[in-house]
Amino acid sequence: MFELPVTTIEGPEIFVIEFGDIVNYFTVYTAALFTFALLFTILVIISRPERQVDIAFGGDAFYTKDVTPAQMKFQRFMALACGLATLGAMMSGDVFNFTLFTSMVGITNIGIVAAYKYKHVLNAAFQYGIVAMIATVPLFGSAAIILATTGTLSMWELFGSTIAVPLIAKIFLVLGVMGEGMAPFYVAKAEITRAPGAPYVLMIHVSSLLLFLRVVEIVISM
Amino acid sequence: MKRREGRGTRISRISRTISELENLAGLYAVLFIAVTLIGAFTLPSLLYQEDQLYPKTIDTNSSLNPYERGGTPFNTTEVRAQYPENSPYLGYVTAYLTPVTRFIADHTPYLGTTIVAHPGGIIDEILYNTRGLDTVAETSILFVAFAIAAHLFRRED
Repeated sequence: MFELPVTTIEGPEIFVIEFGDIVNYFTVYTAALFTFALLFTILVIISRPERQVDIAFGGDAFYTKDVTPAQMKFQRFMALACGLATLGAMMSGDVFNFTLFTSMVGITNIGIVAAYKYKHVLNAAFQYGIVAMIATVPLFGSAAIILATTGTLSMWELFGSTIAVPLIAKIFLVLGVMGEGMAPFYVAKAEITRAPGAPYVLMIHVSSLLLFLRVVEIVISM
Repeated sequence: MKRREGRGTRISRISRTISELENLAGLYAVLFIAVTLIGAFTLPSLLYQEDQLYPKTIDTNSSLNPYERGGTPFNTTEVRAQYPENSPYLGYVTAYLTPVTRFIADHTPYLGTTIVAHPGGIIDEILYNTRGLDTVAETSILFVAFAIAAHLFRRED
């Protein structure tokens, strides 16, 4: 019943999941992204936090940082929530639904880093949080502009050639995902990932990378 | 804010500015302002689509204003949906109010928002029937925000 108008960008569709007006779908492209996110979420579930070793230069001394799974409980929970939000964003077939999952990825990313006690990490998390909060304006603004100018939010209609989505809405969408996922701003991320607890912190990178790949597909298709 | 000597070529100064963590929010804000300016200039070229999927009519005389959707309870009310075949029971409970809510609606003209917000009020079928996944995602975001706030409040420093 549902057929993608253009299959040259993301390949043929595999199957659809219908939630009322929101019709989620898997194509070859999004299924690959979904599988990657799923693998990483499983990895977060089963793995234990890594232990860091600081080596003092100029000598033989090194410090091992003591990291127990109990300290990482909250990070693990947030990383799981982040993984689930990424899964939702990967398969979403509705612009507003996609923006909702994107903002959920943003807020869980803040949650992952907010639980650390190191000052430089918290400073980076604060800056990142401000950007993520500003980014909700262009993110939901783009969904609003799309609804106002085309009258619909379903990607199945928007991907067709009869509906023209204004360029400014696309730019707003990309800008919003940039702010939420922090894709081009690796400054804050570099500070963040100096904290211990590798598999959970890396969820920030994975989610923003996947979000960016997905938003590129959406913007090109619209 | 750390301040270093302004030495080096122009490009190294730019890269130093970008790599300062404190400039991050400002950098994003500049980008956002630039895009918003483009948006403000192209705004006249955007036309409002009259054929909206989720139409909004405001009836200021109704006591359910601004959420009046019309119809009679337990009957089919006309509610637009993108894919009506996915929502077979669309339009059945839009106008239903519990007796208490009906009493409030009949006697006060200013509590429309309250009626929508409390249990037993207007069931917004657009939200809960055709766009149910949105409602789930929104409450999940709220839950995550509360979880972070609770964690930050309760942790021992």
